[in-house]
Amino acid sequence: MLRRVLALPSARIAVAVLAVIALLAALGPLLAPHDPLATGDHPLGAASGTHWLGTDYLGRDMLSRLLDGSRVSVLGSLEVALTALAVGVVPGILSVYLGRAFEWITLRLADTLVALPFLLFAVAVVALLGNGITQAMLVTGVLVSPLFYRVSRAATLAVARSPYVEAAVIGGASIGWVVRRHVWAKVLPPVAVALAQTVGVGFVIVSSLTFLGIGVQPPAPTWGGLLASDLGYLSQRPWAPVTPALLIMVTVWACNVLADALRDVSGEAGRALVLARRARDRRPAAAGPAPAGGAR
Amino acid sequence: MSTLSQKAAAIRQPAPGNAAGTAPPVLSVRDVRITDRAGGREIVHGVGFTLVPGRTVGIVGESGSGKTLTCRAALGILPAHFEVSHGSIEIEGRDIADLSPAQWTALRGSTISAVFQDPASYLNPSITVGAQVAEVLRVKKGVGRRAARREAVELLDAVHLRDPELVYGQYVHELSGGMLQRVLIAAAVAAGPRILIADEATTALDVTVQAEILDLLADLRDRTGLALVVVSHDLAVVAQLCDEVLVMREGEVVEHGPTREVLHHPRHDYTRLLIAEHQQYGLEKYLAVEEDA
Amino acid sequence: MTTTQAQPPAVPVARRTAARVRHTLGRALATLARSVALFVPVFLVATFVTFALRSLSGLSPARLQLGEQATPEAIARVEAQWGLDRPFLVQYGDWFDGLLHGRLGTSWTNGADISSLIGTGLGVSLSVATFALIIGIVFGFGLGTLAALRRTTWVDRAITGFVTLISVMPAFVVGIVLVAVLAVGLHLFPSAGYMTPQQGLGPWLAHITLPAVALSFDVVADVARQLRGSLVAAYRENYVTGAVVRGLSPRRIFFRHVLRNGLGPALATLGLKFPALVGASVVTEWVFGLQGFGRFANDSAQSGDVPAVQGVLVVSIVLVVVFNLVVNLVLAGVTPASQRGV
Repeated sequence: MLRRVLALPSARIAVAVLAVIALLAALGPLLAPHDPLATGDHPLGAASGTHWLGTDYLGRDMLSRLLDGSRVSVLGSLEVALTALAVGVVPGILSVYLGRAFEWITLRLADTLVALPFLLFAVAVVALLGNGITQAMLVTGVLVSPLFYRVSRAATLAVARSPYVEAAVIGGASIGWVVRRHVWAKVLPPVAVALAQTVGVGFVIVSSLTFLGIGVQPPAPTWGGLLASDLGYLSQRPWAPVTPALLIMVTVWACNVLADALRDVSGEAGRALVLARRARDRRPAAAGPAPAGGAR
Repeated sequence: MSTLSQKAAAIRQPAPGNAAGTAPPVLSVRDVRITDRAGGREIVHGVGFTLVPGRTVGIVGESGSGKTLTCRAALGILPAHFEVSHGSIEIEGRDIADLSPAQWTALRGSTISAVFQDPASYLNPSITVGAQVAEVLRVKKGVGRRAARREAVELLDAVHLRDPELVYGQYVHELSGGMLQRVLIAAAVAAGPRILIADEATTALDVTVQAEILDLLADLRDRTGLALVVVSHDLAVVAQLCDEVLVMREGEVVEHGPTREVLHHPRHDYTRLLIAEHQQYGLEKYLAVEEDA
Repeated sequence: MTTTQAQPPAVPVARRTAARVRHTLGRALATLARSVALFVPVFLVATFVTFALRSLSGLSPARLQLGEQATPEAIARVEAQWGLDRPFLVQYGDWFDGLLHGRLGTSWTNGADISSLIGTGLGVSLSVATFALIIGIVFGFGLGTLAALRRTTWVDRAITGFVTLISVMPAFVVGIVLVAVLAVGLHLFPSAGYMTPQQGLGPWLAHITLPAVALSFDVVADVARQLRGSLVAAYRENYVTGAVVRGLSPRRIFFRHVLRNGLGPALATLGLKFPALVGASVVTEWVFGLQGFGRFANDSAQSGDVPAVQGVLVVSIVLVVVFNLVVNLVLAGVTPASQRGV
């Protein structure tokens, strides 16, 4: 599947962008030309030979702060996506097999989580439960997990109803065997799509939270935090938000392109969703209200 | 079933005052060839027939023989990339090649109309079926809202739907396939077209429902002088309804003539094969009726 | 349906009409009942989680009022005043009963009534959110429809490209760009603050336009994408061929047949987008210096005012639930077939 994804030019660009971002996150602090926390004598300086992106209101080097802050964004968004994956996929698969009570409860929980304005909830939970980016992203991951629940449930439903699995079950195959043998293969592509999407969503959330100053203590640089500090000095340095904003947008774009590419190459994902939607129309418990709409 | 076949036989007698050949044709298809521009391949290699009011032409052939494409050409709804590359189609003496989209819109429904296989999919699932019949009346005949509703109910009654008032307010998913085909026919004939194309209109239906729908089509033809084009892969359907039949295979018309002639004296091997296959399923009944007549 | 069936054929028209009205009304009520039944558990779970936040946070009004050096006795006294020494479920029941009566409790920081605090901010936020929704619907539907009608042409590609571009712009980034260019750079709009409609419709619109535009990008992108997809799919349906063959005009086919069936998924998307819209108000209100509901949530959360945060969350849940109820009802009216078996 990876090879097929990389055959698409758009996906190659997206993967390259994400690789660069990941490299920045890994090596950023080493690449930074200055100490991101060291204040200088030239506050709000323009771009120059020593300060490629200029300086902020305390004279700190913007490029260094940007590079140093990339790690928080990348790790944070990965944490969101992986938490959501861990929380969502297993119940999604099991909801098909563990009986109606479990199905009903998990569906209602998924409905509830989708209905929560997650940014508002993330702000509330993080501020109340402790000011750390790790907790923040864990909570956010749980809040966006219904996406994974939906797609893995949809794919599992499609598999469980397919004639070859029914034949296997009639032939005496155990549920465990069916899951290992057939379900994983069908669940993985849509989950991969959802993962790429969620990393993008995670980026927006990390940036939004750090923009509000939530999750990271002030002197430490973050992309969102850089935008927030730029906001106060727009009249002096109107170009300052451009770089962090572009970085966020390009990263989110790359995630979306990758998600689209994954969806395109795995025809299964699309088909599983269509099948599941049809199945949902027939199932009273599964046919949720609008917020239960599931994967885009 | 005997009454049905007798009726079918009776229907096949030309109605008095409606003698074939004297009335001007409402539909004439002359050596039509259809090409897939994308593949550069010719799919239909020359089909021709003429149709006068009150008469029925049948087109038989297996799927992929080009019968549906020919009908779609006559309706001006060929799929993208397909075009009539040779020959002409005239509806009421007008060559359809010169028709503008607006002229097509005016022509369809009021002069030529069609019903298809899988009637459920040809009706909008979000609008009551009655409203879709009334819509045709309002748009094509300029009937007022209330009158359109009344006429639509009458039409539903005319296609032998029980309790037309109730059916009027129902949605596609609330009706059976046979009922939907009746609704589709009612919508197709609402604006009083002169030509009706029935493309595999009875294919997916139960045998008894199929017979009822064929009866209904014959009845409409005899009452209103409708000209029918019946497309089917089923010889029995054609035998029951048609005056004239074209046998198509791989885009080619392999046999063309009066139904009786074609069924009794098939000249082409393929027609013989079709008839032989059908004799196992009771086509001889129609053959017998033919001999009595 | 069974009632109409039971009637003798010769029923007076008036009674038949009455039966039909009852029938339609019945459908609407059934949809409403089903939707409510689905949302009740959502509401219960969400409010329970919200209430559990206090116990989980370990925050206490005593810390806010007495500071870190308070004696355990003093803390216990303050907590007893707030009724926090009672069993958890009793507190929950009490709080939930208050919710049903519209009481959200009092703030830990200043003892003010939270309902009225939220009420003042809600006007600002709802003005912005409604305006953003209107922009989102108008442009989302416009672009999506245009792209579907001109599918595979350059218009379609241009719209798809534009939609992709704006879909990757987070609301606060858009907000900052708008402030930088239109407010600070060109002085076309005020960069911050709010005026009520009573102070003048023009100033009110001027103050909410930029935040609404910033919030709307996401809605525009999602609605346009969804609508384009479902309209293109609807055009491939047989009932379009059926309508063509019956001689209906392209315009009529689009408005009465295609749009109606393509609308469902776009409306559902709108329902899904609404929570995000409410959530994003936290950042946009910060960017535009609006004292709204989102700003109140942020300030209360950062100062550890648990009842205020809970109040904001409950109000946001109610907003989302009510909005989705409306969406479900509209959906049921537009595409009755999608409601079968739900």
